[in-house]
Amino acid sequence: MSRPPIQIEVFSSPGCDRCGRASELLREIMHELPSDRIQWREVDVVEELDYAVKLGVLSMPSIAIDGELVFKSQPSMKELRETLEARLQTGDA
Amino acid sequence: MNGMHIGEVSTLLGISADTLRYYEKIQLVPTIARTGAGIRVYVERDLSRLRFIKRAQKMQFSLREIAALLKMREDPQHARDEVRLLTGNKLDEIEERLQDLQVLRNELRLLLNLCSASKDGCPIIERIDSKEC
Repeated sequence: MSRPPIQIEVFSSPGCDRCGRASELLREIMHELPSDRIQWREVDVVEELDYAVKLGVLSMPSIAIDGELVFKSQPSMKELRETLEARLQTGDA
Repeated sequence: MNGMHIGEVSTLLGISADTLRYYEKIQLVPTIARTGAGIRVYVERDLSRLRFIKRAQKMQFSLREIAALLKMREDPQHARDEVRLLTGNKLDEIEERLQDLQVLRNELRLLLNLCSASKDGCPIIERIDSKEC
C-alpha cells in the first residue's frame, strides 16, 4: 500500500518580501523529488491565523511538514532538500 | 515595631486604605497589629496575604473563594475537603487561563512580526479589522 504524500505548508503573509523566496525554493526542489510523494500549499496566515498560531508560527516565512512546524524561518535550499529527502526515506522504511 | 502603616501599604500594593480596612473588617485578613496610639502596623505576613488577595482578584475569584483559599494557604494539611476541592478547581481555571494567555501572546507576537516584516506598514491588522466589520 502506498504511503500518503508528505504535506508541506509554507506560511506567508501579504507584504512579506521573503515569503515568495520560500515558495520559489520549494518549487525548485519539487523538480528534483518525486512529485507524487509531496503536496504543498501556501498558507496565508491572516486567513488561517488560528491554525498558524496553533502550529507555533511566529514569523514569516515558516514551513510545516505534516502538520509540524519544522522551519521557523527561511531555510536554505540544502536544509530544505535534506529534510524532505529524509522524510521521504522514512516514509519508504 | 517594624512594619508599614496603612498609607504605605496602600501605595505599595495599589489597594486603597478603605479597602484594606474593609478586608480586616470582614476578616479576610486577621486583625492587624496596632501601635499604642491605635495605628495599624502591617508586617510581612500581612503583606503576603494581601498580595495573594490581589492576585486572586485579578483572576476574578470572589472574596468568599479567596477567604477559603486563604485558609488553605494558612494550614494546607488540615484544610477541609471542600476547600481542597475549591483549590483544585481554581488551579484548573488558572491552567486554562494560562493556555488561553499563551495562545493570545503567540497570536500578538505573530501579528507584530508580520507588521515589522512588511514594508507597507501593517496591512494585516487592517485586513483583520475589515473582516470583523
